[in-house]
Amino acid sequence: MDVDLSPEDLAFQEDVRDFLATNAHDPKSDYGQWRLNWFELAKAKGGWDVPKWPTTFGGPGWTPTQHYIWEKETAVAQTPWDLPFGLSMLAPVLMNYGNEEQQQRFLPDIRARSVNWCQGYSEPNAGSDLANLKTKAELSEDGTYYTVNGTKIWTTLAHIADWIFCLTRTSDTGKKQEGITFLLIPMKQEGIEVKPIITLGGSHSVNMVHLTDVKVPVENRVGEEGKGWGYAKGLLAHERTGLAGISKSLVALDHLRLQAGSVKRGNATLLDDPAYKSKLAELEIDLLATEFTELRSLASAANGAEPGPESSILKLKGTEIQQRIQKLTVEAGGIYSAAWGKKPVGHSFAKGGMSGYLASRAYTIYGGASEVQKDVVAKNVLGLKKAK
Amino acid sequence: MNFDLSEEQQLLKDSVERFVNDNYDLDTRQSLSKNPAGFSDTYWQTMAELGWLGVTIPEAQGGFGGNQADTMVLMEAFGKGLVLEPFFASAVLGTRAVVSGGNTDLQSRLLPDVVSGSCRLALAYAEEQSRFDLEDVITRASAQDSGFVITGHKSMVQHGGSADQLVVSTRTSGGQSDENGITLFLVDTKAEGVSVVSFPTVDGQQASEVTFENVYVSADNMLGELDKGFTLLQDIAIDGILALAAEAVGAMEILYKDTVTYTQEREQFDHRLADFQVLQHRMVDMFMEYEQCKSMLYRATLEVVQNGREAMRTVHALKYMVGKVGTFIGENAVQLHGGMGVTEELRIGHYFKRLLVIDAQFGNSDHHLSCFAG
Repeated sequence: MDVDLSPEDLAFQEDVRDFLATNAHDPKSDYGQWRLNWFELAKAKGGWDVPKWPTTFGGPGWTPTQHYIWEKETAVAQTPWDLPFGLSMLAPVLMNYGNEEQQQRFLPDIRARSVNWCQGYSEPNAGSDLANLKTKAELSEDGTYYTVNGTKIWTTLAHIADWIFCLTRTSDTGKKQEGITFLLIPMKQEGIEVKPIITLGGSHSVNMVHLTDVKVPVENRVGEEGKGWGYAKGLLAHERTGLAGISKSLVALDHLRLQAGSVKRGNATLLDDPAYKSKLAELEIDLLATEFTELRSLASAANGAEPGPESSILKLKGTEIQQRIQKLTVEAGGIYSAAWGKKPVGHSFAKGGMSGYLASRAYTIYGGASEVQKDVVAKNVLGLKKAK
Repeated sequence: MNFDLSEEQQLLKDSVERFVNDNYDLDTRQSLSKNPAGFSDTYWQTMAELGWLGVTIPEAQGGFGGNQADTMVLMEAFGKGLVLEPFFASAVLGTRAVVSGGNTDLQSRLLPDVVSGSCRLALAYAEEQSRFDLEDVITRASAQDSGFVITGHKSMVQHGGSADQLVVSTRTSGGQSDENGITLFLVDTKAEGVSVVSFPTVDGQQASEVTFENVYVSADNMLGELDKGFTLLQDIAIDGILALAAEAVGAMEILYKDTVTYTQEREQFDHRLADFQVLQHRMVDMFMEYEQCKSMLYRATLEVVQNGREAMRTVHALKYMVGKVGTFIGENAVQLHGGMGVTEELRIGHYFKRLLVIDAQFGNSDHHLSCFAG
């Protein structure tokens, strides 16, 4: 057991810090330009633009410690926004189950961030029970294309996406999980309608996507017909680890302390309030523990194990912690947390705090609701028979 | 021992619930929220005609002659409808200030207009540095001629933008946090030197930041006694907390009941969500906490009706519970509605947001827990 950074790790940490500092965005330069250039520079470092990709596809082949260092450093530094859908969700499916033509056709654009993808999984009747999906894909008589009809929901950024990867139903016989097929579909075509869904904080990031008689060539099917569920399922565990956000939460906790320190009460600040101080302390303790749970998970992944049930713990704990940080921000905002005009009122962080808190309610729902995650742990880790 | 509503209170409750059912579906509510003042002038008139605006104004002055228990009946029904009109600001906070603190001239001038709805009141007490402490007042009132000149800044004045008169807490003597030396005044929002900047609040209502720059106010507009206004301010806050708690309890009822309904309709994994024991127990927890909160609401309201400020500690207990339970019920209502719970489309999100705003007013649950503990 060893948690010290080796000399090699320390050198890597220096290298990462140097890269991030050197390539931070100059406010005077165009953001879009800087973003694409940043990924080019990261690529030139040896696959730093695709840290989680296998080396066979251009990834850097980092050790768990290096991944951990990268996550910690990028949580504090300014890095360009990135979408997980193409990069972390579709790409591994293409790498593991796609054919060479599909890999050559799609991976470079995903890597270059020149094509945006969205994820067509959930449906109005297939939320936690994703296998219940009904979007139908019917193979043509000549076997050259599928005709797709159905509705997807909670599709993040579908309104700016170029492509959608979709779980569709090609067969109704057998179990729900059999008969699901993985299709790749261009978004900008007749027959695809995107409707915005406004969430509690008033923002628009998710959508409903209606597919009507959309023709999809069989070349756009990944892997075999009816095997799509298996391809997607393994990746769900990856998605869960990604949603824990531990490093980001550690940074957020530091910000929260600063914010609370700016809230005056007589000669003291909110940080002097015993109740608030206690809550911050409990939060920090939970974060310190969860950080090590994440390291243990990374270490076992390095030894070749697939992310297993610990990924559910990370999602459970990580999202709960994110929500508590948001709640404490609302509490720090005091009366100003209710202000919802265009300009901040009172404490400058208050509106963002309320907005963040409302957005955070979704964290224990998406990517597998917490109650479902606990069922997974009960069954797969504790070996308990399915309860009702 | 009797927890039944009186016949008059039952009639009042029925009348408000009817008003809400006939006029306050979610779509209507959301569109009214976009009006310039954030509510319906027509509905405000309706409230006046039905006598609601004078619920705690003495009969001799054209009111209903009721007390905090009658306000509770109205506010709980308003909470169930997410009503937008500034009843709370005017008929609860402002009215208490004028009825308890105004001289007879002021009262006979003003109260008929408050009852008729042509004059709206609001309370301006919070300041940027005050956190939740009522006694932390920097806004200054200095004696001049036959009145006072007020300079300072008040924050998050609920419905300040649509108010005609503001009840303002000022410092006339003493240090920043001295209870002694606080004086309340009634200030015309159109007086020279008053500037009101309004904005929406996250629950669809509105609030204002108000600046006073050398605003002259006549001594006749003093509410209560010079330097001795703090106890009146506390009395107003107590009435305010009771009213907000009643509104919150109404909102909580909708939240837990909507959740019970939804989980019986929604199916996943070949079961209704309501079949899952974990979710059943969660809903039982929501129900239990709601009932406990309702009990505390009755307790605090009856104690205040009976003993006034001596019931202060129970009022702290109530506000603590409302914040804690409101958050618990709201968060779990959203959780149990799954993805739909996080959208603007269902009404539960809006009830949840109202409860969050209630917790942020007059002290959040941590503040009141600390006050209760002493």
